[in-house]
Amino acid sequence: MSGGRVRAPVQPGRREGVPWLVLQIVLAGSLLLLFVLPLYALFTYASPAQIVAAWNDRAVQAAIDLTFYASGIAVLAAVVFAIPLGYLLARHPFPGRSVVEAVVGIPVVVPHLLVGLGLFLLVLPGSPLFRFTNAIGFPVYDTIWGVVLVMVFVSAPYTVLAADLSFRAVDGRVLEASRALGAGPATAFLTVAFPLALRGVVAGLLLTWARAVSEIGGILILAYTVYPGGIYDGPVTSTVSVLVYDLFQNGNLAGAAAVSCVFLLIAFALFLAVRLGERSGWVPWRRGELLP
Amino acid sequence: MTRWTVDGLTARLERFRLGPVDLDLAPGRVTAVLGSSGAGKTTLLRALAGFVPIETGRIVRDGADVTARPPEARRLGYVPQGLGLFPHRTVERNVSYAFEVKGVVDWRARTRPFLERFDLLPLARRYPARLSGGEAERVALARALAAEPDLVLWDEPWQGLDVEVRHELGLVIEELRATERIPVVLVTHDPTLAFSVGDEFVVLRDGAVVFRGDGARLLAAPTDAFLARFVGFENVVAPADLEDAAAGSLAAWLAERAGPGGVAFPRPWVDAAGPWEGVVRSARPTPEGLRLTVRAGALSVALALPPPWPTPIPAVGDRVRFDLRTEALRPLGAEGAGS
Repeated sequence: MSGGRVRAPVQPGRREGVPWLVLQIVLAGSLLLLFVLPLYALFTYASPAQIVAAWNDRAVQAAIDLTFYASGIAVLAAVVFAIPLGYLLARHPFPGRSVVEAVVGIPVVVPHLLVGLGLFLLVLPGSPLFRFTNAIGFPVYDTIWGVVLVMVFVSAPYTVLAADLSFRAVDGRVLEASRALGAGPATAFLTVAFPLALRGVVAGLLLTWARAVSEIGGILILAYTVYPGGIYDGPVTSTVSVLVYDLFQNGNLAGAAAVSCVFLLIAFALFLAVRLGERSGWVPWRRGELLP
Repeated sequence: MTRWTVDGLTARLERFRLGPVDLDLAPGRVTAVLGSSGAGKTTLLRALAGFVPIETGRIVRDGADVTARPPEARRLGYVPQGLGLFPHRTVERNVSYAFEVKGVVDWRARTRPFLERFDLLPLARRYPARLSGGEAERVALARALAAEPDLVLWDEPWQGLDVEVRHELGLVIEELRATERIPVVLVTHDPTLAFSVGDEFVVLRDGAVVFRGDGARLLAAPTDAFLARFVGFENVVAPADLEDAAAGSLAAWLAERAGPGGVAFPRPWVDAAGPWEGVVRSARPTPEGLRLTVRAGALSVALALPPPWPTPIPAVGDRVRFDLRTEALRPLGAEGAGS
């Protein structure tokens, strides 16, 4: 046969092999390009000087602080509330489980502007919930709690789903072994189920965090401007996403791009740190992983 | 020294029904639970451990009813199918688990004797993913015994082990029986291995107990064709094969002696002076001798020819004579008649 460079394992593959490979590369490459090009545009539109200026801008710093603060709380909320829900779904077959699973999917499918509107209507000034949240010290309209509320709503399902899948993947016989060896259900969860599911749960928390920091739709309605109050005592500001939107609306394209770049750099750094930590194996949830 | 009894235990797991099962688990006795896959062996073991809700019946430990107790309060040494080792814990921390959850402060010192006894000290810091099948088996057993159990439950101990490790494991079970003086329940689908270590036998089919008793009785009087085949009888003749037999034929002779479920017999020996004759269909050497299958009239019969066997070995189409006497026959009841 004359110089076929692609060595196909079966005869028919020889003729199809090269075009098939090219097709795959073209399709996959197009998508990757779509992922990368907008970021390239951001980083080339804003000059390095503008990015540095944005980095040093107090207003930008306040927005970044608020965004990471609020998203951090959202991740904590996911740890406290979403992991148990995932465990419940994975381990206890109960009537109506599919209904619960559908409810968990709501935030993923509902447009986020609608989420903001719904939450807004829920805490409309004068409503019982408005008075209640104010009374217990969690006012939500134009406060950090409003930001957190929207973030939890839109991002917690990722942790629920990841926890569900991860706990489901834990071998039931390993859990039974721990029970038979004298561990009560809570001890078995803490010493066996949770450590074994941790890796998947952390991946879910990372998604939750990424989704929380990038949220804008609901925040536009519920907490466009964030005033100090509750646990937030910084200057009047807004989340990074709202700030960028604001700059764009006012025609400051370079400013919007510069703030975006600053934010992306920090977010990437955090994301990379976690991923690299995972690969290097020093993070605790890698220990004892089944090796090939 | 703890004695466990199980009275009329029934359980239901979705559509599967188990029982009623009666067991008497005496110290130092090994009870082998046998059955094909899907017979309910693992369900029975998990019910004893407390993982399957019991419908009726009682589990009694030294006179105290423990049926309602959760698994962690039953003092078990449980080795599930696939061993259930903790993949995120080292060998040492697997074995020490029972001490740790009990809050034993010097768990490390308490664990050491178990590591020593099962030759696990060199592997103490390894994770289960890096163990061979035999090593993992030893870890699982050490971990179960470190719980200082009153009852050892062991699901498919030989699964996935090669021949040498199986032999080694048999010795471990013998030692366990001699030193621990606790009841052991083994679940297996392999009757020959069960016969090598079992004292008591429980055979399950479709969730029901079809035999309970000692090995001699199981081999002497299998009650039906399923049981006969299951325990290793190679010649199991169904009633249909004995109908309309020609006078004087082997089939006619068997028909006179068969039960309602047919008849089973071990491989008859080839014997030139034997009363029966067959035509060789195949001849295979085995460690116990030649295994011949012959056609005797309408019946196919497996024969044994112990070593030393003649050379050349009988060829296909040769006629051989064999000995089969009434004492060797096990008349069978109808299937599912129970013991």
